Amino acid sequence: MNVPWLTVTLVAPLGAALLLQLIPRTATRLLKGFTVTATLATAILVWVLVAGMNGTAISPGPLGFHYEEAHTWIPAIGAAYHVGIDGISAWILALNAGVFLLGAVVVSSRSTERLKLFCGLLLLTETMTTGVLLSIDLLLFYLFWEGMLIPLYFMLANYGNENRGRATLKFIIYTVAGSLLMLVAIIALQFASGRGSFDLTVILGGQMSRQPLVIPWLNISTFSPEQWAFLGFAAAFAIKMPIVPFHTWLPDLYESAPVPVLMFFAGVVSKLGAYGFLRFGLTLFPDAINTFKWLLAALAVVSIIYGALMALTNTDLKRIVAYSSISHLGFIALGIFTLNVNGVNGAVIQIVNHGIIIAALFLIVGIVEERTGTRDIRELAGLEKRMPWLYGFFLVVTLAGLGMPGMNSFVGEFTVMLGAFQLNPAYALLAGVGVVLACWYMLRLHQGLMQDPPTPRTENVRDIRPWQGLVLLPMAALMVLIGVFPRPLGDIASPSVQQSVAVANGSLESVITGIPSASGGAP
Amino acid sequence: MTLAAALPTLVTPRGIDILGILPEVILGGGFVALLLLDLVTGPAHRGRLAGFSLFAVAASFGSTVWGWFDTATPHTVYFGSFAYDRFGLFVNAIILVSTALVLMISPQYLNRRGLHYGEYYSLILAAATGMMFLAGASSLMVIFLAIELLSIALYILSGFNRSEPRSQEAALKYLLLGGFASGFLLFGMALIYGETGHTQLVQIASALQSAGTSIDPLLMAGIALLFVGLAFKISAAPFHTWTPDVYQGAPTSVTTFMSVTTKVAAFAALIRVFTYTLGETNVYDRWKIMVYFVAIASMVIGNVAALRQTSLKRMLGYSGIAQGGYILIGVVVLNPLGTVAALYYLAAYAVTNIGAFAVITIMAGRGEDMDSYDSLRGLAFRRPYVAAAMGLFLLSLGGFPPTAGFFGKFFVFAAAIHANQVPLALWGIATSAVSVFYYLRVALLMYTRPAVDQPSYDWSRTSLAGGAVLLFTGAGTLILGIFVTLIYTVASAAQHGVLPSGLL
Repeated sequence: MNVPWLTVTLVAPLGAALLLQLIPRTATRLLKGFTVTATLATAILVWVLVAGMNGTAISPGPLGFHYEEAHTWIPAIGAAYHVGIDGISAWILALNAGVFLLGAVVVSSRSTERLKLFCGLLLLTETMTTGVLLSIDLLLFYLFWEGMLIPLYFMLANYGNENRGRATLKFIIYTVAGSLLMLVAIIALQFASGRGSFDLTVILGGQMSRQPLVIPWLNISTFSPEQWAFLGFAAAFAIKMPIVPFHTWLPDLYESAPVPVLMFFAGVVSKLGAYGFLRFGLTLFPDAINTFKWLLAALAVVSIIYGALMALTNTDLKRIVAYSSISHLGFIALGIFTLNVNGVNGAVIQIVNHGIIIAALFLIVGIVEERTGTRDIRELAGLEKRMPWLYGFFLVVTLAGLGMPGMNSFVGEFTVMLGAFQLNPAYALLAGVGVVLACWYMLRLHQGLMQDPPTPRTENVRDIRPWQGLVLLPMAALMVLIGVFPRPLGDIASPSVQQSVAVANGSLESVITGIPSASGGAP
Repeated sequence: MTLAAALPTLVTPRGIDILGILPEVILGGGFVALLLLDLVTGPAHRGRLAGFSLFAVAASFGSTVWGWFDTATPHTVYFGSFAYDRFGLFVNAIILVSTALVLMISPQYLNRRGLHYGEYYSLILAAATGMMFLAGASSLMVIFLAIELLSIALYILSGFNRSEPRSQEAALKYLLLGGFASGFLLFGMALIYGETGHTQLVQIASALQSAGTSIDPLLMAGIALLFVGLAFKISAAPFHTWTPDVYQGAPTSVTTFMSVTTKVAAFAALIRVFTYTLGETNVYDRWKIMVYFVAIASMVIGNVAALRQTSLKRMLGYSGIAQGGYILIGVVVLNPLGTVAALYYLAAYAVTNIGAFAVITIMAGRGEDMDSYDSLRGLAFRRPYVAAAMGLFLLSLGGFPPTAGFFGKFFVFAAAIHANQVPLALWGIATSAVSVFYYLRVALLMYTRPAVDQPSYDWSRTSLAGGAVLLFTGAGTLILGIFVTLIYTVASAAQHGVLPSGLL
């Protein structure tokens, strides 16, 4: 039987969110159990699909997709319901399902005000992020990309500390502005390709003009349409990731948001910007991305070092983790903009790695704050003796975070550095500085919390509860497992990475030049 | 294909043909009948008048649908003065559905505010009749008469709450400024008539096409004045100053009605005159600049002014100005997609805005409209479903997918980009990003816990009709945002048959 599995994974959380409305508000146990079950079922389905992916049929064309489904949606303008996964999206999809499951587990372990609203929004967010990862049609992608902000907005605005209102609005307006620029670029791309479609596989290689645009009257020539369109996409993705200097929303938001939200927000939502670059930046704008790769890679390096330095100087645990996240996302960005197989492969691996690490870090920070009542690193010390189990898990996470050989980050960062070296040794060198700084701030965080005699704050704290250990255990296990045995990750990702990198470096141009370019085109 | 060559095949003028104006006749008949019925209906039974007017609207809608299948080839009736085409019928359908929704929320609201008089319903039908005539008008005279019919009814309706100074102020302001606007409109028509010697749009179009390249300044003045008159009705900046005051002062059900239907009807006339009569002529380059700047001004002024409002009705008033700016993009670009986009946007705007205003009528208190932001605080705790619906409408107004508002904006921007007017689309997105701020602020307020010292307010039960309206508009907002093809196909067919030159 031909089951549309991807649609099932897309609809499962949505259906669960709707069914949730039937449960009375007071039945908290049922609400929690239902949410965890729904996310668990989705996760198992996704993991099975990803694991069995390489044996399934692959779509023809310069980019191959598995489990492809295509239906007409708005035929008049050529938008279609076209979904599928490839090696790049598969792992992020698996990560996505995992962090939402963790988020649901964490929510169900604590008492949350207005639980039903929270669970409903969590499931809706999962629907939207899944949609982003599955969409091959650009308009469908945009629909989920922008639609994702709706549940996120209500979640961030309703839960968290007292500064959340400002932080949330900053985030939303930033991202909406970026997304709308991307929308204009999407429409322009569809129009310029002259193929009357929003489908990535159709408009691929339908080049936009590379002649510089000239501003009338002033007679100043600017970027070409393709470059402008790329910048539109880049604005949306760079803000979402974020790359310095578009990062200013992130520390405020991470500081104010509650832990269960952060687990999936930092875990996967911010990775979607990187995914966007991988999926659309590499493939649709081969000329523009090669023009701008120096700039973008330089910004990535700036992110790495800036994030690390800020992580070193802050004293609030959440802000330290937030800035470390900017630094790590810089590595991912650097990997992408090397535009070679090593760098991009490393970026994909690092997306998954960082998703696991950051979720674990925020969980630990949340536990520490819950137990001690503070997030100020200066007031914390000596947890090693009071919380030995936490110490153990935190040690694994710290080592993973600083890129210790044998841990998962090492694999990703090393591969990224290889790619960066191929691009230009200077980038690799500067990124290396970032690795050193990462050691410094991760150890500062670890030692600050764990060593020295306990302070009054930490004198009488209890260790983590068994369920918290059960959540941290698989994450820690994955960090080690990916570190020593990264091959499955690479095996599934590399064919798609190679295809995308080939397209980014102009492999399609030789194919396309044989075909007379279509001009004009009716809406 | 030039217009002159297309005319014989497209337009078969018919003389007196009541079938061509059947929807308008039915609704006008309902208006007269209601005046009489009001005399024999006691104060306790005024709800029946609402029922009767709904019946008239339904009958008119039925004949509109019938007309749709009758107009595979569009033509004019009454010697070229009225267009019997799918464009007009599509706009009729929006007006009729909006009117029906307004009629459904009216009885409860009017009862609460103590304004339940029979004239209300006849005036609503009179205004709707005028709007439908405006949607199909293909002669300058009919445009003017239709505008007067709808305006006079609306002047009275906005002052319907006689005991409240604000409502009186609204009526007076609307009357005075509306009178000026009508004057501009008429003067513009006179200049155009003087220049071309025609009042019928078809003949004006062919006269302009054969006129050659020289453009008389008086003609341009006439076009500009005509635009001012219509821009007043769609409340485009800088002719918008009446909007917030009138929207706030008028009874909310009247605001609901006029904010949507007037705009829809006036846009229909604007598109018919500017895009399809003055479009493929050498005056396009001139009026394009004018509409271009009015569109940008509306988007900027509407969205920026809405930021600082504290009354929901005023905020929606400014938001309506901004939305009008987006729809004007569809007029400026002069391509088929632009018209389809404008029609789609109008349909989306109608369901969304009626939904949002319906929430305010449902919240209305006995003495006053509860339309301040403060009274909205904590709505989600008292009325989760009403708040969810309002949230949906606000997201749609803000242009978030997957709602109607997103595709309205999407098509408009797409039309601008296809017409090589990317800067216009960029203005649109910049102002959209600003608008997100005030829509989401209101959405968030509903989900914020009410302050401890906030006086608890005795919420009335939502009437069955009110709930039905919310259900319909909420579902419509989502359907227009997901199953886009349903309405897009219809709007596209409506664009295809538009007179006087459906070939553009």
